[in-house]
Amino acid sequence: MPGPAATQYLLPDGMRLAGAGDVLAAHLVVQNGSVRAADRTFYDTFDARLRDAGAALVHADGRLALLDPGSFAERAGEPCAEPPGRLFAAELAPGGLRDLLAPLTGVRALTPVARVRSRERAMRVLNDDAKTVVRLTVEEPALVGPGRRRTPLPPRVRLEPVRGYDKALRRVRGVLENGAGLRPAPFSLVDEARAAGGAPCAPPARVPLRPGQRADEAVAAVLHRMLEIVEANLPGTIADVDSEFLHDLRVAVRRTRSVQRRLAAVFPPEPLAHFRDEFRWLQRASGPARDLDVYVLEFDGFAAAHRQRLEPLRGLLAAHRRAAHRRMVRALRSARAARLLSEWRAFLDDLPAAAADSDRPDAARRVDAVAGAEIRSVHARMLRAGAAIGDASPPEPLHDLRKRGKELRYLLELFGGLYPGRVAGEMVRSLKSLQDALGRFQDRQVQAATLRSLGDEVAALDGGADALMAMGLLVERLEEEQAAARAEFAERFAAFAAHPGRALVRETFA
Amino acid sequence: MSRVLATYNIKGGVGKTSAAVNLAYLAARDGARTLLWDLDPQGASTYLFRIKPKVKGGGRKLVRGRSDVERLIKGTDHDRLDLLPADFSYRHMDLALDETKRPTRRVAKVLAPIAGEYDYVFLDCPPSISLVSESVFEAADALLVPLIPATLSSRTFEQLKKVVGRDGPQVLAFFSMVDGRKRLHREVMESLGGNGVLRAAIPAASDVERMGVRRDALPVFAPRGRAALAYDDLWREVRERMPAG
Repeated sequence: MPGPAATQYLLPDGMRLAGAGDVLAAHLVVQNGSVRAADRTFYDTFDARLRDAGAALVHADGRLALLDPGSFAERAGEPCAEPPGRLFAAELAPGGLRDLLAPLTGVRALTPVARVRSRERAMRVLNDDAKTVVRLTVEEPALVGPGRRRTPLPPRVRLEPVRGYDKALRRVRGVLENGAGLRPAPFSLVDEARAAGGAPCAPPARVPLRPGQRADEAVAAVLHRMLEIVEANLPGTIADVDSEFLHDLRVAVRRTRSVQRRLAAVFPPEPLAHFRDEFRWLQRASGPARDLDVYVLEFDGFAAAHRQRLEPLRGLLAAHRRAAHRRMVRALRSARAARLLSEWRAFLDDLPAAAADSDRPDAARRVDAVAGAEIRSVHARMLRAGAAIGDASPPEPLHDLRKRGKELRYLLELFGGLYPGRVAGEMVRSLKSLQDALGRFQDRQVQAATLRSLGDEVAALDGGADALMAMGLLVERLEEEQAAARAEFAERFAAFAAHPGRALVRETFA
Repeated sequence: MSRVLATYNIKGGVGKTSAAVNLAYLAARDGARTLLWDLDPQGASTYLFRIKPKVKGGGRKLVRGRSDVERLIKGTDHDRLDLLPADFSYRHMDLALDETKRPTRRVAKVLAPIAGEYDYVFLDCPPSISLVSESVFEAADALLVPLIPATLSSRTFEQLKKVVGRDGPQVLAFFSMVDGRKRLHREVMESLGGNGVLRAAIPAASDVERMGVRRDALPVFAPRGRAALAYDDLWREVRERMPAG
């Protein structure tokens, strides 16, 4: 199968702008534009959502535009005098650009990932009526790094189709590849720029493991990756770029703690106990900030009906959130946090080589056997605990079940690839649905409690009495939603228990 | 959703095509995704953008909803500006429409699948009162009506408003091919000015005629000329009345 048709071609070694123009003019009827300097700032979310969606957001020539990353054909754009330091799709003016970007980026911020300065010449391929049928740009790009240091990137020809002239486009491609001897560029300019030293992007969570691998080796690889994710998300969390940095950091910490707890026999017990304490501290230090992030993110949804009256509450929540972030940032920047991360790294580096296996009975066993036993055991415990929950049960067992569910999910996500078939994926899906209901049940309870606890503070503010009444309605609504989530539990738990069945789980993770 | 603007007048040779081409160009230059549909079988807009006046399957297939309109659209030489070309078969579009159910809704139906793709759609209409124009009235948010400031123009304008009726598109008339040396032009403009006619007036300038030689929009080759500046004013006024949806 041929890949998608190329829109960027590399110039042969040593060929520059002028030479390339001559070669193209020898094969095609072209109209040359003048040589100009172009300054482009590319944007993406930290987890590269635009790249994954096959799009590029670029600021150039006083315009912010969503482009095809290969041809640079514009899908939507709007005037924007200066390249922004950070932007959210939701904050753009209503229009085509926001409509396309918002669903791609969600709550994530767009930040500059690479700035590229190019010398370039635009050329138009003309037909017999002197109509432009394909646009070509010959380009000598360079990544602009810190201190304006430039790293040259491979010179290339970019090809922008003109709508309705597909035949001409195929002909031009043929000429570039066969006549002019150009090679399709393996990477788009923005990917090339990122690789050459643009902003880093989020590391993937999953690490490839082998079923027969020693458990300590595999666990060290997984936890190294979690550490990488924590460190990669630290700067964005501290700078408060968007709420997902803190979220992803906390997920990596929770996954680390789950592995520490569930696969404890892989580690020497003494240092493990210390690290478990320290990671618990890190998790707790960032908890209130995350809770308030969620509150602020969901506020508009909650408050829609009473927006005006709840304005004092919004202000108060924002102030509490800022304070919680300040406290968290102090913790994240502390010597204690730095020491934890560096000592944890050194510990993981040494883990597979740690001599005495006697202290850690699972270290030399196969990772699939060790992780499989844990998956089976957590699954079985969840089935027992869930079956014991009835309509009259208090909230605590549900909260505990949710915690177990998180553990199971992390084990499946980190180690699921070791097992045959689709059982792990199926389990994650049915688990997600259960966790969603349990999550809402707990979140609404916490949110209602937070509202109640803020009552006195809100009452003392301007417009506080009015806000307080609206808050009463809000608490009622949260309690209704909590009750609805509680009512969904039985059905979702039954679905989780049935798919996949216990026997299949035992067999898969044997 | 796109705003649909149709340049329309019952009479020919009043500056419809020049207005459609130049206003569509200016809309695209301002950053709006813009489509111009050349509905006139003479294909003057199509010619001005150097595009072949050919629509696969012809006008009949198009209005019957049997053509994939997205595949018929051609990019012009200008960013964000596309064209749905004219075809000689459009001369029978009236008959083709007459054969369809609800013929007056057909132009809107052709545009429906691409509504999200464009901020503005301009329709360059043939001069007539027919099923084609009725279908255009139904599809358009506004009619841009060039008026030559001669004795009959006020009558034309009034008639058109009556035809369009209260539920039809907005009627935005403007003076076109204005010769400031002619007393009659000055007098008519004075008497009609402010009576629903836009302020911007397009002069009778040789630049406009040169569009046929240069085969391009006026602001491309004579951006500082009187006519190009007048189109700038006209576009500003139209855009104020009809911001992109």
